[in-house]
Amino acid sequence: MRDDALRIGGRSLSSRFFIGTGLFPNPFVQKEAIKASGAEVLTFAIRRINLDAVEDDSILQHIEDDAFQYLPNTSGASTAEEAVRIARLARASGLSDWIKVEISADAKTLLPDPIETLRATEMLVKEGFTVLPYISDDPVICRRLEEAGAAAIMPGAAPIGTGLGILNPYNLGLIVEEAGVPVIVDAGLGTASDVTKAMELGVDGVLMNTPVAKAKDPVMMAAAMKHAIEAGRLAYLSGRIARKKYASASSGLEQFILK
Amino acid sequence: MGNTHSVKLKVNGVMQSLQAGTVQDVIAHFGLTGKPVIVEADGVILTPEQWADTTVSSGMVIELVHFVGGG
Repeated sequence: MRDDALRIGGRSLSSRFFIGTGLFPNPFVQKEAIKASGAEVLTFAIRRINLDAVEDDSILQHIEDDAFQYLPNTSGASTAEEAVRIARLARASGLSDWIKVEISADAKTLLPDPIETLRATEMLVKEGFTVLPYISDDPVICRRLEEAGAAAIMPGAAPIGTGLGILNPYNLGLIVEEAGVPVIVDAGLGTASDVTKAMELGVDGVLMNTPVAKAKDPVMMAAAMKHAIEAGRLAYLSGRIARKKYASASSGLEQFILK
Repeated sequence: MGNTHSVKLKVNGVMQSLQAGTVQDVIAHFGLTGKPVIVEADGVILTPEQWADTTVSSGMVIELVHFVGGG
């Protein structure tokens, strides 16, 4: 097959799976799930160290392979300024200048605040970050984020952790049609068919955490999602048939024996 | 540890009394030497090279953060 690498911020990725590192039952299962996913991009959050229990390991102690691209997020931020502060702390790790801008408007829906997300994206692009904002599936705000210099845009399929799948395929399709940067569906997917559907819409990749980490068998689900991404991508590139109202036979009847 | 003295610092939101001269001493006090720690002192992010040169004094606000699992 032709070279079908995904390019973001000067980096070429052969996997279109971005995997989150929260909620796994334990570090061993997480490590195996990451391996089964084939993902090259791993997301993290930034939090205070619990000074009463410093032996609670940093997540990084369980992830050895430095071939990964780290994508820290700004979760917990509710303003652009808070997100910028978290982004600077993340970059100070020396591990990555990629940042997923995640600014939630409220705890019930965790829906992204579009105004603050746009402001944070503008500020972080100026500071030289590779900015991947998590945003609602609204084509207009996605365009504005691209104009602000986002390296990719990451519209949600449904609210974080809901597993509801793609609530608005029309919007996602429109975002893909108009975008000049990669589109990564981030949040809300539940199972492999959701993922395939997203990829068939032409999105460039998916970011998932909960549907893998909280599956009964996270390692097997990671493999399922990997195949779903590949199937959906190949179907998108192949060009599906048009929908027809009535049947059309696979073999014509011109040479039928009883004619 | 070089010149340490008794200081009261707000570390990760909690007032702490400890013996420390520099940020490096604070890191050591909490058993974090050699661990992947990111330090912010009075709103300024410090590189690991700056830890031993940054003196601490009472009233400073220090944040010790790291990467955790997240999506």
